[in-house]
Amino acid sequence: MNTRLSFYVHRESPLHRLNPLTKLTLVGTLIVLAFASRGPELPLVLFLVVVLLSVAGQVLWEFLRVAVRLLLPVCGFIFVMQSLFIPIGETILLQWWIFSLRLEAIQHAALTVSRILVMVSSFILLILSTHPSTLMSDLTRRRLPGGFAYVITTSLQIIPQMRAKAQTIIDAQLSRGMETKGGLCQRVRGLLPLVRPLVFASLVDVEERAIAIEARAFNSKKEKTSLIEIEDPVYEKVVRWLMLFLLLGMIGNNLWRSLR
Amino acid sequence: MAIVEVKNLTYSYPAADKPALKGIHFQVEEGEFVSLVGANEAGKTSLCFALAGFVPHFFKGELRGEVWVAGKESSRTSLDDWLLNVGLVFQNPFNQISGSKFTVYEEVAFGLENLGIPRPEMKERVEGIMQKTGITELAQRSPYALSGGQQQRVALASILVMQPRLLVLDEPTSQLDPIGTRQVFEVIKSMSQEGITVVMAEHKLEWVAEFSDRVIALADGEMWMAGKPGDVLTSPLMTELGIGVSRYTAAGRRAVEIGLLPASQRLPVTHRQALAFFGAAPP
Repeated sequence: MNTRLSFYVHRESPLHRLNPLTKLTLVGTLIVLAFASRGPELPLVLFLVVVLLSVAGQVLWEFLRVAVRLLLPVCGFIFVMQSLFIPIGETILLQWWIFSLRLEAIQHAALTVSRILVMVSSFILLILSTHPSTLMSDLTRRRLPGGFAYVITTSLQIIPQMRAKAQTIIDAQLSRGMETKGGLCQRVRGLLPLVRPLVFASLVDVEERAIAIEARAFNSKKEKTSLIEIEDPVYEKVVRWLMLFLLLGMIGNNLWRSLR
Repeated sequence: MAIVEVKNLTYSYPAADKPALKGIHFQVEEGEFVSLVGANEAGKTSLCFALAGFVPHFFKGELRGEVWVAGKESSRTSLDDWLLNVGLVFQNPFNQISGSKFTVYEEVAFGLENLGIPRPEMKERVEGIMQKTGITELAQRSPYALSGGQQQRVALASILVMQPRLLVLDEPTSQLDPIGTRQVFEVIKSMSQEGITVVMAEHKLEWVAEFSDRVIALADGEMWMAGKPGDVLTSPLMTELGIGVSRYTAAGRRAVEIGLLPASQRLPVTHRQALAFFGAAPP
């Protein structure tokens, strides 16, 4: 069974030592700045900042590996589709059959892609440098509802478990002659004997897990404590407030410009 | 002094056409080890849920009678308060992993975090129980990367760390291999020797005979027999109730039937008792 349950990469780096909320605020700031920008230049600079942060976090290689796998196909697809099919602008650069490549559409696609780059890459950096337990412990300590934190962390772990269970069911059904190859109809028919036991087994699991966590005082009215000690120095609090002011300023500025 | 009192308990699950438990009545003394035996659908799991407070708090349905643990009655006590005294471990070790923790150490501490135990005490209790249950070396492993036996010991440690006065075990080894079974039973045995009251539903009659002070036999939701393991587990009624007997009891009974040994001898249940039983046979 796959036992790698998160993307977290353990390193002794300044980025890893940052309080999870500081990293979350940084991610939020980068994303809002990218989306508030009217051209792709600022988002590209912000993406460069994210890359540099991955160097500081000693996770450059892991960052690039995940980012390339995830972002290259998505950004490539969006760039091509928006460049070709968004009917804006009049500066036609190329025309062939029903397709026309306009400068304004390319600029719009570049802006969209640069924003996605910042959004996804900053989240990748967050999950590479922040242990999920630390993140959730810190957020729970800050009054994030325990149930919400539980759902988030459980979701991170449930995918490999579901995959393993599905594989077991597939193996069992294959051994009983289920057809998984052939045309679309054949494949859809083959899916049913997989989905039904997977869903029913998962429902049973949910009930048992609910009892198991209930037995461990999950719904206790007492104020929860945390095994993990998470530092939150004053300078990080100051940095968070500064980022928040920057965010508000950026949003206010954009609102002002749009109202004018 | 009785820590558990079950008084005329009758319980039906919602939409069930017949009760899962009918007129169950028994007591368990503090520090006692009581085993529940019975065929499938006999009511063992329902009784475990009733003792652990999940009936009537989690599973609704119709409940008559009373369940008392440590001076509290289940229907008048919140599940939170009830679980301060009672710990429940059930069959599937995999589903008892909280799913929200990434190491065994964190997993064991999960219940204490929920109870608001201060960090230094939490660490002390986690490390202590991990040592007692023999899982210290698994501390930094993922709970999902363990064998069934190891997961069940983690589940046990996760409950025991909350220091329940009553430990309810619902077939804790039914999904384990012989090695995993032995490891889990050894932990249960050592906890029982430390004075924790244990009520365990179990099919493995040899282990039941080995540990239990008293055995209760259930069939079709009713209590049919209760008494010392040697009396209950060798009773002819065990076969009639569909529970069966251990292979040693069956061999001993056959030896008596064919006149190899006198009928006055008590039939064996465990391997050790069988050695003594057949050792008495003429060469």
